[in-house]
Amino acid sequence: MSLGIRSQRSKIFFGFILILCAVTFLSGCSQASRSSGSSSEENTPATSVSKDITIIHSLPNDTLDPHNTWITLRAGVTETLLRLDENMKISPWLASDWETKDDRTWVFSIREGIQFQDGTPLDAQAVKASFERGIADSKALAAALKIASMEANGQQLQITTTEPYPAFPTELVHPTTSIISVAAENQMGKEAFNNAPVGTGPFKVTSFTPGSEIHLVRNDDYWDGKAKLNEVTFKFNADANVRTLAFQSKQADIVFHLSPEMLTSIEADNELSVSSVTSLRTHYFTYNPASSSVSDHRVREALDKLIDRDSIVQDIMLGHASPANGPFNASLPFGNREGYQKLDEAGALRLLESAGYTKGSDGKFQKDGKPLTLKLIAFTGVNPELPLIPQVVQSEAAKAGITIEIVSVEYPEVYIADHTDWDMSTSSYLTSPRGDGGSFLNSAYVPGGSYNPANIQVDGLEPILKELNETGDTEKRNEITQQAVTVINKALPHSYIINPNILVGINQRVTDWKPGAEEFYIVTHTLDVK
Amino acid sequence: MVRQSFSRIIQLILVLLMLSLATFLLLKLAPGDPVLTILKANEGAVSQSDQDQVQEQLGLNLPLVQQYGLWLQGVIQLDLGKSFVNNRAVWDLMMDRLPATVSLTSGAIVVLLLISVPLAILGAKYKGKWPDHLSRLFALIGASIPSFWLGLLLIYAFAFKLNWLPTMGSGNVRHLILPSITLGFVMAPEYIRLLRSGLLDALSQEYVRAARARGIAEWRVIARHALRAALLPVITIFGMSLGALLAGSVVTETLFAWPGLGSMVMEAITQRNYPVIQGYVLLTGVFIVTANVLVDLSYSLLDPRIRSGRGRNV
Repeated sequence: MSLGIRSQRSKIFFGFILILCAVTFLSGCSQASRSSGSSSEENTPATSVSKDITIIHSLPNDTLDPHNTWITLRAGVTETLLRLDENMKISPWLASDWETKDDRTWVFSIREGIQFQDGTPLDAQAVKASFERGIADSKALAAALKIASMEANGQQLQITTTEPYPAFPTELVHPTTSIISVAAENQMGKEAFNNAPVGTGPFKVTSFTPGSEIHLVRNDDYWDGKAKLNEVTFKFNADANVRTLAFQSKQADIVFHLSPEMLTSIEADNELSVSSVTSLRTHYFTYNPASSSVSDHRVREALDKLIDRDSIVQDIMLGHASPANGPFNASLPFGNREGYQKLDEAGALRLLESAGYTKGSDGKFQKDGKPLTLKLIAFTGVNPELPLIPQVVQSEAAKAGITIEIVSVEYPEVYIADHTDWDMSTSSYLTSPRGDGGSFLNSAYVPGGSYNPANIQVDGLEPILKELNETGDTEKRNEITQQAVTVINKALPHSYIINPNILVGINQRVTDWKPGAEEFYIVTHTLDVK
Repeated sequence: MVRQSFSRIIQLILVLLMLSLATFLLLKLAPGDPVLTILKANEGAVSQSDQDQVQEQLGLNLPLVQQYGLWLQGVIQLDLGKSFVNNRAVWDLMMDRLPATVSLTSGAIVVLLLISVPLAILGAKYKGKWPDHLSRLFALIGASIPSFWLGLLLIYAFAFKLNWLPTMGSGNVRHLILPSITLGFVMAPEYIRLLRSGLLDALSQEYVRAARARGIAEWRVIARHALRAALLPVITIFGMSLGALLAGSVVTETLFAWPGLGSMVMEAITQRNYPVIQGYVLLTGVFIVTANVLVDLSYSLLDPRIRSGRGRNV
C-alpha cells in the first residue's frame, strides 16, 4: 500500500475521531442546556438587584414526582392539605379545617377558590384523585396513609382509614402527600408530568435536569398572593465544601447544610450570614439488650454519665447542636422538659462499682476476672460528626477505666440487626419529621419496628403507646408522648447525645425568609431579595 | 471479518450474562433490606405487614433462581425494572443521565489530548533536558493528586477566587470546563509516560532515520511517522479509559453536581437502590466491551500489517 493512501486513511481516521468528539461534546452540552433551560445567570454575582434567587440543597433528585420526593414541596410547586407552623404545630393549608367523626373517619374542608397551575379548580374530587394516584405510585405513601376509602362531595372530602388512626392528620403534612393535578398528568403523560409536575404552589417548573437543578417561574395566579420573586433556580450538590464555596462566591443566595469548619471564613464576609436551626434529628447510642455487660442498667447509666455532651456540642459541632435529653428535641411541644445528663465521671464510677466491677492493677474495670471491654459500632460517614462522637466517648471511658473498641461500618442499623457481637451502636434518625413523636415511638421501641434493629422492648411502655395510638387531640398526644419519654429515659435503652443543627447560609440580599427545622417550606411566596 | 464479528457478539453476550449473574448475587448478599428502602423506612414507621406485602408484590420472597430468571426476562426486553426510590424505569433514568456523561467524557478526552500529546512529544524530543524533566514532573504531580482534591482546588481558584466559572451544575460549555480539566488532568500522566516511551522507541527506528536523511522536517517525522507507531499501545489503554469514562466518574460528577451516570449510581448505592445499580453495572459492561471491540478495529486502521493478516509482534 502506498504511503499516500495510508496517510489519507490515517487522516480520515483522526478526522473521524475528532468529529466524533466534537459531536458528542456538543450534543451533550445541547442536551444539558435543553433540559436546564434558562441558566444564564450562573456566574452573575448574586449581589445585583434582580428578582431571582439561587438555592442549593444537599440532596439530589432524579425525579420531580411529588409523591416520591420532597423536592416539589420544598421548591414551592406543590402544597399539602395541612402544614406545620413555626412551632411545629399542624395548621390548615389547602384544607381550611378538618374534623374527625370517629377514630377512623376524617372530613376535610378543601379551601375554596384555589386553582392548580394548569387552571383546573381544586375541589374534593381533585384531592381524592391526587391521593389515589399517590397510593398507586408509592408503596411508602400507601403504607403511611392507610386509606380504606374516600368520598368527595363538593369541597368536602371524607377519608376512612383501614384501622383506628388518630395521628392521620400528621401524615398529611408530609411532602409526599402533595396535592397534584391528575388532569394535568393525564394530559401530559406520566413521564412529562414527573419532569414538570403541576400543583397549587407559588412557582411552576420550567425545566428540570435530574440530579442537578430545577428552574422555576412565578405562578401569577397563586391563591395566597403573588410571589415576590420572578424566578428561582434550585440546585443540588452532595458535597458540603463545594456548596460552601458556591455560597462564598455569591453564586448562590441560600445554601443548606454548610460545613461548620468553614463558618469562620463565611462570617468574615459582611454580605453573608449563617442561620443555625435546631433540627428534628437525634444522634444517639443504642445498647444491645443481649450484651452481657450493657444489659445491666447500671452499666448503661454509667456510660450515659460518661458522654460529654457539652464537649461534643462545642468541640465537634462548634456550638451548632444542642445536648439531647430524650428522643425528641427539647424545644418541641412534646420534648422532654428535664435537663440533660452532664459528664459525671464520679457518678459513673460509683455505678460500676455497685454493679460489681472493680479496678485492676492496670486501672481498668473488670468483673469476675474479665475486663470491661465494649464494642461500639460507628458510622463510617454520612454526617461528618457521626464518626467523631464515638471517639470522644471512647476517650472519656478510657479515663474512667473502660475500654471501648470502635468498629466502623457503613450502616450500623444493618450490622446490629444481623449480629449479636456488639454492645453499643451509633444511631441517627429524624425522630419527629411530621411534628409528632408517635411514629418514632412506635417504630423505635416496639419489637419489629423499622427503627428498632436491636429489638428493644421497654417495660411499661406498651400501655402508654396504646393510649397514644388511640388519642387524636394534639395537646393530649404531646402529654402522652412526654410520659413515654420519661419511661424510656428510666429504662435507658438508648443514650441520647445531641440534636444537630442545620446550618443554612443566607446572603444578606435575601429578605422575608428563615429556614425551618422541618426543611419542608423552602421556596415560599413571601421569599424576596433586596 | 463476519466470523470475527459473530464471535465478538457471542463474547459480549457471555460477558454480560456473567456480569448480570455476579451483580445479582452480590446485591442479594449485600447487607440491608430493599423493602425498607421502598417503604422509605428512614422517613417514618413501617409495620411488618407492610413489609411483607411489598415483599410479596415484588416477588422478593421467591427463590433466587426464579427472581434472577424474571429479572433476566425483563432485561432481554430492555426492562431493567423500576427505581425503588422514585418508581421511575431504570432505563429512562440512565438515558436521562447518559448525554451528560458522554459530554463530560468528550471534554475529558479533549483535555487529555491537549495535555498528554504535547508533553509526551516534548519529553521524547528533548530526552534528559528540561522539557523532559518538566513533562515527568507534571506526570508525577498528576498521578499523585486525587481527583476530588484537584476538583476542589479548581473550584476554589476559578469559581471562588476569580469568579470566572460556575462552581457546579450543567447547562453550557462553561459548566463543562472544570470537571473536564479535573478528569483529563488525572488521566494524563499514564498517557504522557506511555506515549513518551513509544515515541522514544519509534524515534530510534531505521525508518525515522531514513525519513530524516531524506530531509523531511522534524515535526513531520514526529507527527506522521513516530507518533503513529507510538499510538498503538496508547489506543489499547484508551479503550479501557473510554469504557470507564462512559460509565461515569463517580467522584468528579458528585463534586460538580454533574448530572451523569456516576453521580446517579453514587446516589443509588447510598440508597441501596438495587435495580438502578444492576442496570448501571450492565450498561457499564456494554460500554467496556464495546470500547474494546472498537479498539481492536482501530488497530487495523493504524497498522496495515494487522489488516492484511500478516500479524504484528506485539
